[in-house]
Amino acid sequence: MSTVFQRVLDNITRVRGVRGAMLVAGEDGLIVAESLMEGVRGNAVAALAASLQKRFRQAMEAAAVGMPHFLHLQGEDGTLIIVPAPDGMLVVAVGAPDMNVGLVRLEMLRAAESIS
Amino acid sequence: MTETRAVEAWTLEPLERFVAESGARLTLLMTPAGQVLAQHGFMRAVDVMSAAALGAAIVASTGEIARMLDQHEFAALNHQGVQHGIFLGAFDTPRGGLLALVVYGPDSSAGLVQLFFEELARGLVAATPAEEQPKAVLAANFEEELDRSLASLFGR
Amino acid sequence: MSLVNFTTREITCKIVYYGPGRSGKTTNLQYIYGRVPDNRRGRMVSLATQTDRTLFFDFLPLELGSISGFTTRFQLYTVPGQVYYNATRKLVLQGADGVVFVADSQARQLDENIESMQNLQANLIEQGVDARAMPFVLQYNKQDLPRDLILSPDELNEALNFWDVPSFSAAALKGTGVFETLKAASEQVLRKLSQGEPA
Repeated sequence: MSTVFQRVLDNITRVRGVRGAMLVAGEDGLIVAESLMEGVRGNAVAALAASLQKRFRQAMEAAAVGMPHFLHLQGEDGTLIIVPAPDGMLVVAVGAPDMNVGLVRLEMLRAAESIS
Repeated sequence: MTETRAVEAWTLEPLERFVAESGARLTLLMTPAGQVLAQHGFMRAVDVMSAAALGAAIVASTGEIARMLDQHEFAALNHQGVQHGIFLGAFDTPRGGLLALVVYGPDSSAGLVQLFFEELARGLVAATPAEEQPKAVLAANFEEELDRSLASLFGR
Repeated sequence: MSLVNFTTREITCKIVYYGPGRSGKTTNLQYIYGRVPDNRRGRMVSLATQTDRTLFFDFLPLELGSISGFTTRFQLYTVPGQVYYNATRKLVLQGADGVVFVADSQARQLDENIESMQNLQANLIEQGVDARAMPFVLQYNKQDLPRDLILSPDELNEALNFWDVPSFSAAALKGTGVFETLKAASEQVLRKLSQGEPA
């Protein structure tokens, strides 16, 4: 894996509560780079997160409110965050329910910027 | 309305679930020899057969290349087009190997198809019935009907 | 192997046209394609080289109609004849329900015919198929060429027809014998099916 990709993912997974981070090709839903804890189904999360992001983008286009910058889904047992990067790439993170979303968001936005 | 049809009834439920989840436009389940077990989305049976023949040929060719390279067969192939992608995957069932050919559009993705293909393969393995004893199919005097069918086919 | 669906009452069978290069396998399929109404056939798929030699296979799906209450479909394939395409021939032969061997009647092609026949048998054996149990028909094509260039059907029978299977004289370009060959192959495949064996 490219060291640049590895570094940006490490910056995200360093935040307490993060269980995994991935760079995903948005159109294909395939993993480009990953740093995941055991038990996180990377392929499934990547494919479904890309599909979700596509739907949200269509919904926001239909509502004429611009492109999504940040998707945050809060579940009972954890959190899924998607940040679209330029060039169709997605930064995806999975974490515990109580993880510091603000800090993760910041790292993910930085990651999106640095891989473009 | 696009239709899902199965030659082998046990394949229908896993296939319908796959189509719904993956957003596939067209799906064919077939044997490695290109015989169709089930399909979704094709309008004409003869088009299904052509697609199956070509899909089986691609898998057979790459399998042969893998053999020449002394490698395991490729489990899946993905051809990405501008509008549509084609996914071809192979898997084993208790009744032998099967292939899936999936055509997907911009509302799906290679990742999504790959993800639900794995579920489809698991579903089909679980649904596979025990091998049936071959039984007589045609009436003993089928020749007359065959003669008539072939004569009408050739306009004789 | 034939696929039979008892619920929707459909039968699908695969017939492979085998034989040496330029013996007229593709011509057989082209003639059938040209004679069959649109609604009874699919598109003819030809994976050919730029010089129109079969590279992988030709494929023609046909709807025969209803036989004993079963909607019956045939998939006709050809194999590439040239010696060096054996890997693709094996792939196309996989799962065949019946074989039509198209021989070139020209005297100078006899060795090629024999070699191709031996190659067919070797490939069937490799796939664990008993060649004698396989529905099998011979076609002696190009019988319309001048007499001094070709072997007679009797001579070809002597050289190629070890198992005394049905054989037909043909001139596939004109369509002579094409129908009779397909009919005999279809009959054999369906007869095997009617006897309760997977073809």
